Amino acid sequence: MSHIVTIQTEVRCRESVTAACRRLQLPPPTEGTHRLFTSEATGLAVTLPAWRYPVVCELPTGTLRYDHYGGRWGDPRQLDRFLQGYAVERATLVARRSGHAVHEEPIADGSIRLVVQMEGAA
Amino acid sequence: MKTIEIIVSPQGEARIETRGYAGAACQEASRLLEAALGVRQSEQLTPAFFQQPVSVPTHLSAGGYTNPS
Repeated sequence: MSHIVTIQTEVRCRESVTAACRRLQLPPPTEGTHRLFTSEATGLAVTLPAWRYPVVCELPTGTLRYDHYGGRWGDPRQLDRFLQGYAVERATLVARRSGHAVHEEPIADGSIRLVVQMEGAA
Repeated sequence: MKTIEIIVSPQGEARIETRGYAGAACQEASRLLEAALGVRQSEQLTPAFFQQPVSVPTHLSAGGYTNPS
């Protein structure tokens, strides 16, 4: 390897949000203004399992708006799972659109490995 | 074989490693994926980063080796 970069995922791509919902068997995301307890947020809303309020993705800024009340109104691990699914779908989409083959495999610690072939791809 | 390996943690953080590259070409190769995923938190350069790309000596041609002496 020649360099290693760590990236904090930002949710900015509508197509990848939709693909992540499909991957995780969540309802399709919905655009609009959504209530989060006493406040509201406008953007692409994702419904996570057993969450009282949706997670609203403000795509232009990459910000996520939600209120799980310290985990009482929704398990934070479900949000992590969505972010993981989004990152996998986003990276796969970008690599394939650049003409590279992508291989995906799960790792024992719960991570997902993607290998992008930079040579010999279609 | 040049590859880019992306490991996405259960928390959604991505770690990108380039393999098979010599020199700074690895940064160019992974730039698109980095930008698509989010904000760069850290970067670590490995010894391969500082290697010069391999070039063929000019006295070696497709026709075979020519003894320079």
